[in-house]
Amino acid sequence: MSQPARPLAPAFEPTRARAQMERVVHALERVILGKRPQVELAVTCLVAGGHLLLEDVPGVGKTTLAEALARAFRLSYARVQFTSDLMPADILGTQVFHAASATFTFRPGPLFHQLVLADELNRAPPRTQSSLLEAMAQGQVSLDGTSHPLPQPFTVVATQNPVDFSGTYPLPDSQLDRFLMRLSLGHPGPEWEAQLLIRGGGAGALTELVGSSSPEELLGLRALCAGVTVEESVADYAVRLAGATRTHGDIERGASTRAVMGLMAAARARALFEGRAFVTPGDLRALLVPCLAHRLLLRSAVQGAYSREEAAHVLEEVARRVPAPR
Amino acid sequence: MQPRSLLRLRLRDLAAAFAFVSMAVSGQLPAPALVVVGLGVGLALLGRRPFGSRGGLSALVLALMGALLMGAVARGMVDLVVAACTFAGLVTTQRLLSAPTPATDAQVHLTGLLMVAGGAALSGELLYALALALFATFAALSLGLGVVEAATPAGEVVPVRAVLRLLALGLLFALVGSLAFFVLFPRLSWNVAGRRVSPGLGPATTGYSDTVRLGGTGTLKTNPRVVLRARLTPDPGLERLDAYWVGSTFDTFDGTEWSSVGEPLGSADQVRLAPGGEGVLHQEVELLPAYGATTAVALESPSLIGGATAHSPQGSRRTGLVRSPSGEVRFAVRGTGYSYHAYSMPPARQETRAARVKDASLFLSLPPDMDPRVSALAARELGTTTEPLASAERLATYLRSNYRYSLELPGEVEDPLAHFLFERQEGHCEHFATALAILLRTQGIPARVAAGFFGGERMEGHYVVRAGDAHAWTQVLVPGRGWVTVDATPEAYRAAQPAALLAWLTRVYEAVDALWRTQVLDYSFRDQVDLLRSLVRPPTSREAMPEGRLRLPPARAWAAALAVALAVYATLRLLDHRRRRTAPHAATGLLEAVERELRRTPGVWREGEPLEELAARLRVSVHPLAAPVARVTRRYLEARFGGVSLADGEARALARVLARAIEARRQADAPRSVTTGR
Repeated sequence: MSQPARPLAPAFEPTRARAQMERVVHALERVILGKRPQVELAVTCLVAGGHLLLEDVPGVGKTTLAEALARAFRLSYARVQFTSDLMPADILGTQVFHAASATFTFRPGPLFHQLVLADELNRAPPRTQSSLLEAMAQGQVSLDGTSHPLPQPFTVVATQNPVDFSGTYPLPDSQLDRFLMRLSLGHPGPEWEAQLLIRGGGAGALTELVGSSSPEELLGLRALCAGVTVEESVADYAVRLAGATRTHGDIERGASTRAVMGLMAAARARALFEGRAFVTPGDLRALLVPCLAHRLLLRSAVQGAYSREEAAHVLEEVARRVPAPR
Repeated sequence: MQPRSLLRLRLRDLAAAFAFVSMAVSGQLPAPALVVVGLGVGLALLGRRPFGSRGGLSALVLALMGALLMGAVARGMVDLVVAACTFAGLVTTQRLLSAPTPATDAQVHLTGLLMVAGGAALSGELLYALALALFATFAALSLGLGVVEAATPAGEVVPVRAVLRLLALGLLFALVGSLAFFVLFPRLSWNVAGRRVSPGLGPATTGYSDTVRLGGTGTLKTNPRVVLRARLTPDPGLERLDAYWVGSTFDTFDGTEWSSVGEPLGSADQVRLAPGGEGVLHQEVELLPAYGATTAVALESPSLIGGATAHSPQGSRRTGLVRSPSGEVRFAVRGTGYSYHAYSMPPARQETRAARVKDASLFLSLPPDMDPRVSALAARELGTTTEPLASAERLATYLRSNYRYSLELPGEVEDPLAHFLFERQEGHCEHFATALAILLRTQGIPARVAAGFFGGERMEGHYVVRAGDAHAWTQVLVPGRGWVTVDATPEAYRAAQPAALLAWLTRVYEAVDALWRTQVLDYSFRDQVDLLRSLVRPPTSREAMPEGRLRLPPARAWAAALAVALAVYATLRLLDHRRRRTAPHAATGLLEAVERELRRTPGVWREGEPLEELAARLRVSVHPLAAPVARVTRRYLEARFGGVSLADGEARALARVLARAIEARRQADAPRSVTTGR
């Protein structure tokens, strides 16, 4: 046969998928103490094939979470510290001239990894931020007319500090819209903080973190996601939820179609995580704030973390108001 | 006060004001109450609320006013219903001028409703309907704004403009809907208490009365109130009827006042006054409350009156008719308005049939101590004429050309007739009629005075007669012909003559009022059937349909059919849509059963909380019900969204599992609470 061998879709076993994801979450929890809901969401985001935006004050483990995710799934990992003088070529890669053969060869930048941590994304100028757009949307990098596919699975985890605005370039809306979820970790509870001190910080635990999953398993989970069914009324519910954000009086610009699709993709991953082969309205409600809050443009001119809080507030109201299918 | 509430308060105050107006249009409320409430509403609309912090004191004043009203009722000065309505107005004023809290708002709207009900008890006229509609509009807008304000978080701007547009749209829809409901919903009886009871502009002050009396002081006012409305068959089709509507006739004059001799005869359902015959004119008469008297009125000369109904605040009832020897017909039951049927012989027909007059001498009697100049005047003017009708015409012409018409009353004089004939030489219709009758009598010609109305104005297929159309004229007994009308009053002054603008305004009001009466108050099942029939049947009159053409239904029938078809289609679409939207899934039944069970255990489930969220919450808090709820939830979700249908009876079994768990938990809780109680 001349056709390339394609892996057969794995037999649909929601319970096995659940076990796999549970294992990853369990491993991560040993590093990110007392943050189970956020860790679950982060894993859900990865399984849904989305990019993750971590927004929080410095020093609460954003970077640690990104690195831990990479380790747990045994993904190749690169950390790019975004600064105001970072150029697109610094992350995408450059054409290098070989004197011997008198040809240019492409030397891939740090973006060519399975999990890229874009640390303090909002410190880079818009030009550099936008160079990520193609990579995040298409999974490839085009340079000098040549497309270079990125390794699969490819995920960007970006962090930004929502409070310190001096010397930052706010992320353009098109960029924000490409992040499937936005999470903030927040300070751990006092008992967990004490535990952290006893164990001497998260770094030790991080190195101990053994890969509880693999890139192949992650791709398998993503393939499983596509098989999660969505009942008609649930799809209708998602559409109505998005519609309600578009007509809400406090929202200038509601959820985009990309946002609704992202919401449903995340809901599929969550269904897997719950060991189900179908999406429920509860999945949508649980993911409404992480998936949509950062994409809404509110009428009130509040910025940064407060605008996220307000958007979350509005979205909760939307979830209360839009009747769920029964 | 927050500025965002101002509009709502204004609307509330306006609604209360119109509720009060709906009572005030009856004209029965005492004038001081009108002044007090008017002042209160004015202050409230200006935003002044002096009772804001002095609720107790103002309530005391209110109690005092209530006591005053009670006293007035006890002494019979004020009707109990009127007093209650007045008090409702005062309570509203006190509430309007108090600090605007939610409780006050509710009370204002409640008293508004009370006042509207009071208004319905006092009058059911057009102005009441207008006030009611305005009250409903403003109250609905105010209440709607209140709801929106309550839903808006503090510190945020209420979207008044958007809300008002929607509210107005809804209101319009409601008004149109109620109109359609009113027109289309079958009704068998609309004859409830309170209609036709009280006039919208107060009782008429002048017009027809049961007596004819000369003298008095002041000026007669031209009153445009409609007192009589009649439908004539066959329809004469004239714009102005200019006919005599006779109520009473009088035979005896005592020098000042006319009266009739004889006791009334017994009551009967119908009274025949003269033999009927060919060409009788049928009248369907309604006497409005402005009429004020109890005498039946019919076109000259009435032959039969019957089928009378008296309308009163207690409702409408049939009434018998009492006939007096002079031919006057009165209603046996006292009401504020009457409706009845009458048949009259047109004047041209009278020549063939003569009413027999038993005792002509009665119509020759003269008042005692009559001025001798009267009979001398008659003799001089008549000369050799002795034929009754010719004599009457001659004397009438003399009076018309030598005496002036005036609405000024002469004041109380010793001999009003002589005063009119020889000194003042001006007077109103009663003077002219009396003078002619007495002048004829001095010459041995029997004559009498008739009182009633002259006129008849066409309006909406009816003829209306106004209070100002009241008139008196003379009838002379012609051998072989009976009583023949001769009018000595100058023609121009027989009917009412209001000023042009006033006349136009009155006409407009009367036209709308007539519509209100025929299309609303008297709108019956029969009218609905007629309306539908007129929509679908081809016209029946010959001139509207040329011969030989195919008789197709008219365009309006097609339009009506189209409208009905569209309405039916829209309704079906809506129903279909709704059914598809709310088609109960088999699993939804399980959900409802589960929610019923959960309602029985307070503190576990918050009404409206989705089952998934509840299960997650219980799991996190390690609730004893977590396991059964999770089991039921899982099954419900599978069945509803996962395509794994419930087996027969599975829903019931699951609900029972949950019920048992709930029961077990309750029993586990009970002893523990007893031990903690000790």
